[in-house]
Amino acid sequence: MPEQPEASVETAGGGAFPAPHFDVRDFARTAAGSHRERLGLESYRSARLTDDTLRALRYLQIIERATMTHLRSVLVTATHKDARITAFLVTWAYEKYWIADALEQIILAHQPEGAEADRSPFITPVERTIRESIVANIIGVPMIAVHMALGTVDEWLTQAAYRRLADLDGNPQLAQTIAEFLEVKERQLDFFEAQARFRLTESPRARSLTRKRLARTPWPIGAKAEPDSETRWFLTHLFSGAPEVVDEIDARVDTLPGQSGLRLIRKAARL
Amino acid sequence: MAFDIDKYTATSVSVAWQDLDFDEFESNPLPESTLRSLRYMCDIEYHTVCYLRDLLVTPSHKEADVSAFMTMWNREEFWHGEALAAVLGKHGVVVDFDQLKATRLKLGWKDRLDPIKQSLLGNIVGKDFIAVHMIWGAANEWSAVAAYNRLADLEGHPVLAELLRRIAKQEARHVAFYATQARERLAKSKKAQVLARFALKNAWGPVGSSVMEPEEVTHVMGHLFAGDEGLREIRKLDEHISRMPGLEGLTIVETSMKKYGVAA
Repeated sequence: MPEQPEASVETAGGGAFPAPHFDVRDFARTAAGSHRERLGLESYRSARLTDDTLRALRYLQIIERATMTHLRSVLVTATHKDARITAFLVTWAYEKYWIADALEQIILAHQPEGAEADRSPFITPVERTIRESIVANIIGVPMIAVHMALGTVDEWLTQAAYRRLADLDGNPQLAQTIAEFLEVKERQLDFFEAQARFRLTESPRARSLTRKRLARTPWPIGAKAEPDSETRWFLTHLFSGAPEVVDEIDARVDTLPGQSGLRLIRKAARL
Repeated sequence: MAFDIDKYTATSVSVAWQDLDFDEFESNPLPESTLRSLRYMCDIEYHTVCYLRDLLVTPSHKEADVSAFMTMWNREEFWHGEALAAVLGKHGVVVDFDQLKATRLKLGWKDRLDPIKQSLLGNIVGKDFIAVHMIWGAANEWSAVAAYNRLADLEGHPVLAELLRRIAKQEARHVAFYATQARERLAKSKKAQVLARFALKNAWGPVGSSVMEPEEVTHVMGHLFAGDEGLREIRKLDEHISRMPGLEGLTIVETSMKKYGVAA
């Protein structure tokens, strides 16, 4: 297939298209909603989570609920033109909303009766969006590859974080809830990864652009909503005792076309 | 009255149509002009995500309640698109994601600049701009409720009417959110009132008019709101809007309908 710098993947009309095996309509139809009925909150009364686990869960809650902030930077680019991707993202945001809600419920279950949920405004750097929007629209379609690759790497990282958290704490109810989250997240990863691999394979421009963007992204996505010190704590708490997990994620990033040797997560975790 | 966001998110569902007898459309098909209007409505529902993006470039999304609402709202609208696509499918009209993409591509450069403009403007005026979004959203959702109910009445088709009323019911919950937010925010700020008045007066158009061809807008609005009864509906919409703090006397719906040759 000839490489067209402006259009790349999008003009492959009639032929191959990204992630053909992923049925977006079916994904939307079977989206995972509220987890509340299966959280087993009363079990935490006799088997409390550790303070460190709660702190990590709070961090995860904040990055899971930051979907609208992430959608903002995605939707102001050419990515919003692709109706299949937007249909996916609408459902993705819905599933993440309910994961954040479940995390909030678990945290509340550890607080005194009648504690209020955290409804403070989100912290997001606004000024960057304008610049981002201008630059990304000049870039056009290859930007979609960037967003799909970001989603892929973020899924790898957050899934590993959830697994580590379950292992570190050892609470069986938490492990069960996390297993439920991982099932939800696995499907999201499936879409992001298939999209990213296809688009990166098709376009050299997408490859080099993605490489630059991945390298300068603060991981995990949504980290900007928290102070740097909290992100540092989060990554250290989860991964300092398991550098092999970090290496494994970085090795996976290496398998994305044109993205080898970035060592993104090792750098983010400062291990 | 406050809008209970937790109750809303907990009860947000995709609109159901599997229990309706869609085979009815085979023996009792819808006329061409209705299918054309449904196609328009279907596209608009799918394009909600494009409105979402306009909302997101301003500070609105930073508030947890607004963010929660937008997540559910977008999904419900997507499902309205799916439901209407199913009706169209029964008439041999296939709505696929690639066609939707084509519509969005046609929006071209102007559309690309819009979020930037909005963002600049929104960030300069900050919190007050959220009020503009909320009244804008309320005006759109009021229009949607009226449109679905009107089409249900006009067509009198038992299956279509039931589906449209279900959709309208969900749209009414969106109205409740937007209108509550708008009323509170406008009441609190004179500046928000001035901004909202300015934005509605100068930039509001019938839902979908920024995405769809003008002749389609004219067809749909004429189909739904022509005649005395249509005019009464249009004026009801303007009454809702003009009852908001600081928006007295606005007639944006009637004015914009006239532009499309309706309510003349």
